Amino acid sequence: MAVEKEAAPHVAPIERLARGEEPVAGARGEIPGRGGGHIATRVVIYTLLLALSLLYFVPFFWSVSTSLKTIPESVQGFDLLPDHPTLDAYREVLTEFNFARYAANSALLATSVTLINLFLCSLGGYAFARLRFPGREILFMVVLATLMIPDQLRFVPVFQILSDFPHTAWNLDFPPVHYNLIGTYQGFIVIQMVLATNLFLMRQYFLTIPKDFEEAAKLDGAGYFKTYWRVMLPLAGPALAAVTILTFQGMWNDFFWSLVILQNPSHYSLTVGLSSFIGQYKTLWPQLMAASVISIIPIALLFVLAQRYFIAGVTAAGVKG
Amino acid sequence: MAVAVPQRTQRRRESLGSAKAREAFVGYAFVALPLGFFFLFFIFPMIYAFYISRYDWGVLGPIENLGLQNYRELIDDELFRHALRNILVYTLFVVPGQMALGLLAAVIVNQKIRGRPFFRASFYFPSLASSAAIVAIFIYLLNADGLVNSILGTNTAFFADSDTALPAIMALNTWTTSGTIMLFYLAALQAIPTDVYEAAAIDASGAWRTFWKITFPLLKPGHFFVLVVSIIGCLKVFDQMYIVSGGTGGPNYSTLSVVLYMYRTAISDLRWGYAAAIGVVLFLMIFVFTLVQRLLFGRAEVS
Repeated sequence: MAVEKEAAPHVAPIERLARGEEPVAGARGEIPGRGGGHIATRVVIYTLLLALSLLYFVPFFWSVSTSLKTIPESVQGFDLLPDHPTLDAYREVLTEFNFARYAANSALLATSVTLINLFLCSLGGYAFARLRFPGREILFMVVLATLMIPDQLRFVPVFQILSDFPHTAWNLDFPPVHYNLIGTYQGFIVIQMVLATNLFLMRQYFLTIPKDFEEAAKLDGAGYFKTYWRVMLPLAGPALAAVTILTFQGMWNDFFWSLVILQNPSHYSLTVGLSSFIGQYKTLWPQLMAASVISIIPIALLFVLAQRYFIAGVTAAGVKG
Repeated sequence: MAVAVPQRTQRRRESLGSAKAREAFVGYAFVALPLGFFFLFFIFPMIYAFYISRYDWGVLGPIENLGLQNYRELIDDELFRHALRNILVYTLFVVPGQMALGLLAAVIVNQKIRGRPFFRASFYFPSLASSAAIVAIFIYLLNADGLVNSILGTNTAFFADSDTALPAIMALNTWTTSGTIMLFYLAALQAIPTDVYEAAAIDASGAWRTFWKITFPLLKPGHFFVLVVSIIGCLKVFDQMYIVSGGTGGPNYSTLSVVLYMYRTAISDLRWGYAAAIGVVLFLMIFVFTLVQRLLFGRAEVS
């Protein structure tokens, strides 16, 4: 019970989202003293807005523009727009420099991790929110406590666990199979299958759903799993959306674990591929910018399509500390 | 008749008891898989790291139990101290920068302005992109013949010079992360009750005064939350350092961070026990900040 009360402020945005409200900075109407009326204030605000937008936009605009140039054009002068826009850099990067493969790898990894998280975290979250069993609060506290620990602490142990643990680590003959998940997709997926943030988000959301729905299902004779699958999951749309977006973005953009685990160039993710490209062909600017744009586009699209879930998710989960 | 009543209650209690047991059983069954994986790949490794950190541990397993020797070695390790100094300097500059920029963006976006969702999205945009893509873009912008140099009329290879490499990374990360900070500040701004502003309007305070006298102090919980989150993020910095220096922490170790040093110790030097000890030290540093946050605020609150 103590957990619920303490954790409540975290999900305000998601709860609000469930009611169909704008999650952050919703319209408030006219508030005196906040940008109403005074012309001088307006001028200052719009000037700042313009300056800030330039600061945030120019680098991206510049990279897109460069990705459409030829190499000679990219190093000579700084024309804002390419003279003869060409997609050559994209073609080269995708074929010769293997970025089609890297993109496919990233898509595979991000999608698998997201799907597994959706199922396992909603299942666990439902049980933590709704089913009473001894030790429930303590188990959930333990999950929450790991959010205070930097992920990198797992680095050395995870590396061992993925490579033939505990044969080499403890010199045991158990288990009877030898395995090595370093350098495999499975190794990357397996260590991210259940993320504490997602478990937390799902539980908090299920807590906000009125119990009437389950009681109706119970009267209809539905079992626990059926109640979870047929009644609760369809009601948890906003939370599932937030989990999907946060996890997909996190995995697509991940660098640390990709670098540590996916050491073979055929398994590189986009981010590791990009890093290795920087090391080898630093000054092929149009190609480098094309590769960057390729890695940004899917997330940018996701953001355009689902901005409110994005912002609600970041605000709710980011508070994890 | 009088006897039948308690009997029925008892039967109901029994069936209630078995329903309870069934619910508990299902509960365990539902959390078994998620918690099993979570234990195996999060909780166990986090505890195991402490164990490994006490060993001289090579690729083929433990060689010798050193007790706290790894930690003692860290205290005198020049490179580790250099990495520590780097991330402290980095934190000292990036945290205030992020907070100022994030707050400025939040206050502006919170105004009644045209195209607010558009501006909010554009400020958040850099936080969406991967660190690798952002670093690639900045390597291009900051190269010796790049845009920034042509604007400044200079010829500095920012990432190749040990005086400018770290400040360049600071600048790019301040820029990147300020979008996320803006979202947190927006949530905090929303929590300020409107009647406070109404009172200010009666006093005929100007917008500038209203901000410094009312908004800024009322954002105190928000400031503190953002401060701690931002410090923790800074201490863990790795991606940008690795990509800019090709994993070396160069030039001249100017971009060596603690996590990068841990990575190199394990992957290049194959000293796994020592690397685990570095991880534990990082954990302790971050844990202190998290504890301060939790002690002062219960759990983290934006609103």
